[in-house]
Formats: sequence, C-alpha cells, structure tokens
Amino acid sequence: MSSRRGAPRTRPGRALPLTLLSLGLGLAVTAGAVACQSQPADDFGAPAVTTLASSAPPALRVPIQDGKPPQADAGDEPARLRIPALQLDATVDAVGIDAATGDFAVPPSVDQVGWYRYGPGFSARAGSIVIAGHVDSAAEGKGAFFRLGALKAGEPVTLTGADGKERAFEVVARERYRKTAIPLEKYFARDGAVRLTLITCGGPFDTKTGHYRDNVVITATARS
Amino acid sequence: MRILPFRRAAAIGAVALLSFGAAAALGSSPAYAKANSQVTVVHGIPGQAVDVYVNGKKTIPDFQPGKVAGPLSLPAGQYDIALTKPGDAIGSALLKVDNAEVPGDANISLVAHLTADGKPALTPFANDTAKLAAGKARLTVRHAAAAPAVDIRAGGKPVFEGVTNGKEGKADLDAGTVSADVVLAGSDTRVLGPADLDLKEGTATIVYAVGSAEDKTLDIVSQTITGLHSAPGGVPSGDGGQADGNGSLPWYGVGAAGILLALFGLTRLVTGRR
Repeated sequence: MSSRRGAPRTRPGRALPLTLLSLGLGLAVTAGAVACQSQPADDFGAPAVTTLASSAPPALRVPIQDGKPPQADAGDEPARLRIPALQLDATVDAVGIDAATGDFAVPPSVDQVGWYRYGPGFSARAGSIVIAGHVDSAAEGKGAFFRLGALKAGEPVTLTGADGKERAFEVVARERYRKTAIPLEKYFARDGAVRLTLITCGGPFDTKTGHYRDNVVITATARS
Repeated sequence: MRILPFRRAAAIGAVALLSFGAAAALGSSPAYAKANSQVTVVHGIPGQAVDVYVNGKKTIPDFQPGKVAGPLSLPAGQYDIALTKPGDAIGSALLKVDNAEVPGDANISLVAHLTADGKPALTPFANDTAKLAAGKARLTVRHAAAAPAVDIRAGGKPVFEGVTNGKEGKADLDAGTVSADVVLAGSDTRVLGPADLDLKEGTATIVYAVGSAEDKTLDIVSQTITGLHSAPGGVPSGDGGQADGNGSLPWYGVGAAGILLALFGLTRLVTGRR
C-alpha cells in the first residue's frame, strides 16, 4: 500500500518546465532539420569536368589551306533549352561580350538564356557549349535558372537547334565557385570532349553590390 | 627567277630570326626546354607552283600560289629550305635559304613573295599569338607585293598607313566583318579590294598583299591562327537576391530560441525538485 505513495506523480509545479523543455527541444530539432535541408546540396562531378576538358586533341597533320579571306560561317545557334526536371523550356539567345565590362552578356530578360556565340555551337563535336541565364533579377524576379543548382546527376537536358533538331545531354556535374575563383577558361574551352555547360549565379547575396558571391555550374555530356 | 635577290632576302630573314632567337634566349629558359615552333608556309608568288624542301626532304609537294601550308611543328635549330619547280631536282632550286634559324616556341610565317622591285624572296614573319580579350580578333596586314607603299583601309578609313614591302600593320579589333581595301599611300587610288573579312573571335587573321602591281597580279592571301581566345571576365547572372544560399539564416534563429527554451525548462525542472 505504502509503495503507491512513492509512485512518481507529476507535481503541478513541474508541468510548465517540462512543456517548455519538450517545446524547446522540438523547435531546435525542427529548425536544425529545415536549416540543413535549405542548404544547397553537395557538389558532384568535378573530376568528370576535368576529364572532359582535357580530352586529347586530334593529331596534327600538315594541311594546306586556300588563302581566301575568311568568310562568315553559317549560324549554329541553339534555339531552345529544355530541362524537364526544372519544368524549364526557355528561348536561347545568341550573345557575346558586354563591351563595357568584358563579361558574358547574359540576356537581360530573365526568362531567356544566352548562348555564348563565340564558342562551340549547337552542332559542335568538341568543346564546351555554354549557356548562361539569370537566377533572378531585381526587376523581374525569379529567372529561368532559378533552380539550376538543384539538378541531379543523370537528369536530361535537351538542346534544340534552329532547324528543330534536338541534342540530348545528361547532367554529370554540379559545381559552385566563388566568382573570383571560378576557372572560366575550363568552362569556355573550345576543345576537349563536347559538353553543355550551364551557368548561373548562387551563394550569398551581397545587398550592397547587388551581386551574388558564387557561380553555379552544371556540366552535361551527350547522351549516347 | 634568279637566286641572287634571294640571298638578300635570306640574309634579312636570318637576321630577323636571329634577333628573334636572341630575344627569346633572354627569356632565360634553357634551349632544351623550348617547345617546337609552328612554321606556316605562304605562297605569294603568282604563276609558279613549287615543291617545298625542308632539310633536303620534300615537305610540301606541288604547292600552289595563293595557298597556305602548315603549320609545321619544328624543333628549334637551323634549317635548309628550298623551293623548286614541281618535280625538279633540289639542285636546280628556284629559291634556296640555308641555315635559317628557327627559334624555339615561336610562331612563324615563311612567305615566298616578290620584293618591291619584283624579285622572288622568302621572308620570315613572327606572328603575334598573344591571347586576345574575349570578343576580340586580331588583324595583321603584310605587304609582300611588288608594289609601292600602301595604306590599308577598313570601312574606308585608313588603319595602317605607309606600309612598305616586308612590313606589317597589326591591330586587335572587335570580332566581326570588316570591309578592307588597299590604296596607294596617301591617295584614294585603290590597288586591292574591297574585300569583306570575317574576323572570327579569338583568331588572328593575317592578310598578305601579294603579286605585282606592274603585272596586274596583285591579290591577297590570308592565313588564320586560331585558339587565341580568352574566357569572358565573368558571368553576372542575377541581381535579385531571391536565391541567396543563406535562406536558412532565420531558421538558425528559431533553433537557437528552441535551445534556450529547452534549457530554461530544464533549469526549472532541476531547481523545482528541491
């Protein structure tokens, strides 16, 4: 009988601290989980990018060229870029260099993406076909490449040529660099294996300068 | 074609190459560490196909006027170069230069052309293969014709003035098409062109004025060096801030508040027991 008296019973004075304890723990765990999930996923595929960039060039012969003055090539610009995983189907503009800054002239309209017209084009057999697009803009909000950094290995990317022909690629790498340290030469290479390189901005945003700290780079190779 | 004028051209060429080599040697890296030189052969003598011999070996057979051969990848050293009529023995060469110095790690164009007074010659030019800024192309114009001093114009405006035989004008321009012509120096008397040149980004286009004004065989031969491109300075692609990777910052605050709350509750539990 007397043993019942010693049975643990919740005293009224302990209810509040217990509630606070469990509420606090719950909050901490939930917040921790959400914070972790909202962190960008880990990069992958960097060795693959290096291998692609360093593929051996064909052996040199001693060719004879006609000394005619160089003529303009027929255009080789891609027309559309489709990424099903991002529900993205964007118009591709042929763009070059912003003369004032020497930077890639990314199309100002955020729902369009820009193909680097000096580099390899739609039907390229070597080198990096580069397409860059806005992650967002102050004027127009979220851009075509807003969720580019969420692409996973193996996801398909399709490029459509001006004549409607399609070229299928699949994601092999996702990398993030500080803009001050990104090896752009590698991503704008005109030799090595043919690959599609998609670039946008990411990382922390500096409200003072109005720029992101990082670039996000997706590399995709031709689907066999 | 006689051999005599060629001696002079060869001498000039050798001096040019030697000084070039000396400049390269001042770069202080040991000779054995030097990469091969890229040598391109340009045929700018109208009306005579040739076989090109390098060190006695027929390297470019039946080389037609107006064509560009190469690049040949040659280790630094001395080379004997001879041009013969196709099929002729090397002993009866039209043009011959012995012990031409090829420095290491250079890009050279060896141009068979006419001098200002119409004699055949073989002149080496050192090509500028410095990297170009993104969006740019390099244009070099070389006077290799039996003609007086000329001005080279782009879009009707003189860009290189008073260029004489064996000399060149050079500029880095925005990539794209320019309409170029050649006029007698200081005049509007056009001797060549106009020709549309598509200056491709990241390439050097070298245009040779060849032939003879007197014989009305003036023409242009052009050579292109690719791979001089650079990447853009950067890829600015967002100024909205919505994709900031630190979207998790508020959640850290919530987490910290939770931990404080839990600690407070724990303290109350422990102290309440007494």
